[in-house]
Order: sequence, then C-alpha cells, then structure tokens
Amino acid sequence: MFNLIKKDFVIQKTQILLFIPFIIFFAIFGDHMSPAFIFLLASTYIPLNGYIYDEQVESNILLNSLPYTRKEIVSAKYIGAIAYMILGIGVASVILYLFNFGFMIRDITIAMGLFFVFSAFAFPLFYVLKPGYIGVVVIFGMILLAGVLPPLFRLLTEHLTTITDFLTSLSTTTLYLSGAAISIILYLTSWMVSQLIYQRKVF
Amino acid sequence: MRKIENIVEFNNVNKYFKDFSLENINLQVKQGQITGFVGANGAGKSTTMKLMMNLLQPDTGEIKVFGKDYANHEKELKERIGFVYDSNVFYESLNLKDIRKIIGPAYKNWSDSKFYDYIKKFELPLNKAIKTFSKGMLMKTSLAMALSHEAEFIMMDEPTAGLDPVFRRELLDILKEMMEDGRRTIFFSTHITSDLERIADNITFIQSGKILFNESIRDIQERYALVKGNANLINHDIEKYFISMERSSTEFQAITNNAEEVRSLLGDQVVMEEASLEDIMFYTKGASRQYV
Repeated sequence: MFNLIKKDFVIQKTQILLFIPFIIFFAIFGDHMSPAFIFLLASTYIPLNGYIYDEQVESNILLNSLPYTRKEIVSAKYIGAIAYMILGIGVASVILYLFNFGFMIRDITIAMGLFFVFSAFAFPLFYVLKPGYIGVVVIFGMILLAGVLPPLFRLLTEHLTTITDFLTSLSTTTLYLSGAAISIILYLTSWMVSQLIYQRKVF
Repeated sequence: MRKIENIVEFNNVNKYFKDFSLENINLQVKQGQITGFVGANGAGKSTTMKLMMNLLQPDTGEIKVFGKDYANHEKELKERIGFVYDSNVFYESLNLKDIRKIIGPAYKNWSDSKFYDYIKKFELPLNKAIKTFSKGMLMKTSLAMALSHEAEFIMMDEPTAGLDPVFRRELLDILKEMMEDGRRTIFFSTHITSDLERIADNITFIQSGKILFNESIRDIQERYALVKGNANLINHDIEKYFISMERSSTEFQAITNNAEEVRSLLGDQVVMEEASLEDIMFYTKGASRQYV
C-alpha cells in the first residue's frame, strides 16, 4: 500500500518541482485572494495530478496486473490524498510565511474541510468517467462551484434567516467541529462509493 | 506437495458482452511448456487473457491459476505472474529507473541486480522516457520486469505482432532460453503460425469466442494430414473424413482431421503429407462454419 502511495510521488516528479513556483506565484500576485483558497489549491495539487496520471486504461491494467488488490488501489488514493494534502499545506505555509503573506490557522482548517468535500465529490468521478473527460469535468466543476456557490450563499443568508440565525447562535467550536465531522463523513462515504465502483470496473 | 500440472485452468467459463461473448471456455496451460494461443482478431484472445489476469471476472465458470482462485489469493497469484501486453502499460513520461521504483517494490521476490542484468543484456536505455521506446524495446522491458521477480508463469499478448523479423527471431530465442530450467510456463497469443511451429509445445485455438482445440502440436500434426490422390477414390464415406477438399476431374487434395482412419481406408492409394498449422487452422475454421 505504501508503495502505491509513493508511486504517485514518483510519477509526477516534474510536476512537483513546479509546485513551489506555483505557490510562490500566488504568494506574490494573489494578495486579493483568500489564503484558504491557496491552501485548498496546494492540498489538491498532488492527489489530483496523481488521478490524472492514473485515469488511463493502461495504468489501470498495469496496477491491476501487479500484486495489488483493487481495494488497495483505491485505499492508497484516499489515504495518499490525506498525506499529500498535509504535505502540500505544509510546504505552502512555509512559502506564504517566507513571502509575508498573512494567514491564520483558521484558513488552514477551512482549506482542509473544503479539501475533504471537494475530494469526496471529485475522486469517484475519476472511476466513473471515461478517460480523457476528467480534466474537462473537474475544471468545469470548479468554475461552476466558484460561480454558483457565492450567490447561492448570499441568497440563503438573505432569505433563510432562521438558518443563519441558528448558525450564528452556535459557538465557533461547535461550528468547526460539526464542519469537520460533516466533511470527514463525506470523504469516508466517497471512499466506500469509489471502492464499489472500482470493484466492478472493466478495463 | 502435489505437483501442479496445469498452471492455468478454465472450467466452463462464460463471459458476455453486448456484442461478443466467450462461451463455455475450457482450457489448460501445462506447466513447464509454451502454449501458443491463436485466433483471428476479435476471436476473444485478449478477453481470455484479461480473464487470466483477473482484469475481468467471468460471469459463470471457474478460473484457477496455480490451482488457486483469484477471489482468495489475488496477491499471491500475481506475485508469480509476469505479463507482456500488446500496448504499452508503463507510464510513458517516466524512464526505466523510475519505472523500477514503482514496479520493483510491488514484488516480494524482486531483485534489483537481476533487473540491471537484464536491462544490460537487452540493451535498454535507463534514462530515456518510455514513450521513445520501440515496440521491441517495450516487450523487452516487460520481459525484464517479469524475469526480475522470478515469474513462474508469463502471459504475453501478441508479443510478436509489429516486430521486425530479426527481432522476432531474437525474441523467440530469448523465450527458449527462459524455458531451459523447466520452471517457467509461457502462454502467448499470436496470429503468426510460424511462431508456433518454432517454439510452442501446445496450441490453443479460439474462434468467435469458442475454443476449437487445446492440444499438443505433436497430437495435432498426427491427427491432421494433407491427402492427395486420384479423384475417382472419392465417395460419400470418404468425404466425411475431410474438413476441406479441392478436386479436379482427375485429382483431389484434401485435409483430414482423422489421418489414422483415412490411412486405413485408402492406404497406399493416396499420398499423405503433414498438414501445416496454417492449413489446419484455416480449414478448421471453414469446417466449423459449415456445421454450426
């Protein structure tokens, strides 16, 4: 299993070299951006790239011909994603700190929460969609989310005062804890769904 | 421990697809031998090989490798299998050094020194991206991987297709050498019958999703024969022993799948010669179409 996780690092060696300038770019030019968003990008960078490499039929044939079970192949992705998220966020915080880009622990926690939610929806898609369509769907999905979510939230805050009242009445700790619980539950559910899909996948 | 005779066994395996199906496949791959798997494009060779590798699961029937099933022994079985696929399965932007980092640790029996020995022997570049490799180099790469983890059973999908004749000879020599210690078993698909005549011990012939025969080359060559003789020898009783026949007003030439019977019936009246595998396969195909 550890070998499968390490594999994602080996296959994208060159892209990982680009990771540092990628974050530096945001540290310099992204001053209007939320640090949480930068952390989210940093955390999804390696796992998402790994998926893009492995969406090809051929890599699935290779991995499944090696002494691995399908269960291990999926689990390695989900466990590896957490490891690479921590690594990505760690490196990004060092870079942001060095470039005097102000951020708080809160930004990191929000990014982690969003990472779990985003991954929970994106990962199973890689097992469902035909190779070659993933990139388009993910980019389209991100644009859609960025475009639709903020106005939706605005609408919710304006009209559903009961919900917002309820949310503001909660203590920050409760809010964070429930947020964490929801995102982790989503991630675990997604893991199970991916297992089910991958067991039946035909190469 | 009981010696396992059949490395791979398919018992009544069925696999259905929308536009194609494998029906009632029974096949055995004998230990220590080379089995050639022949059939036209689309006959079901790749599907059978995918079933053998557990890339596909049968709808019904049973598949055993080394006498065990995939459901409970998947990792253990794959440790012992080497594979050569028709298309490149290695990450194309990586070089052999990086590929080794991915594949090596997957196997318990992996030996780095063996790997580097084979890379040297096969004259493969360590630092060039896989995407620059020719078909022959890719094949050698797969073989080097299989040999570095001491695969006992090597499955190859169309290893000779698209290779130049010189390299094809070289490959067949490598395979022969691999078989020398008698511990390995090879199963390879091809549509080039001369490859089979050169190295295979057994032939499995598949057509439209059905196995037509699965026998040793020697048995096949004994059973089939090319028969030539005078046209007036032909009558209804004789004709039924022929799977194909061409006749002119004076002479006939036919292929039989029951050489023994024909010899006892016609004896010296006809000339009997060894039929080539190509003839056998071509006419078996015709015969099955005729009687289905």
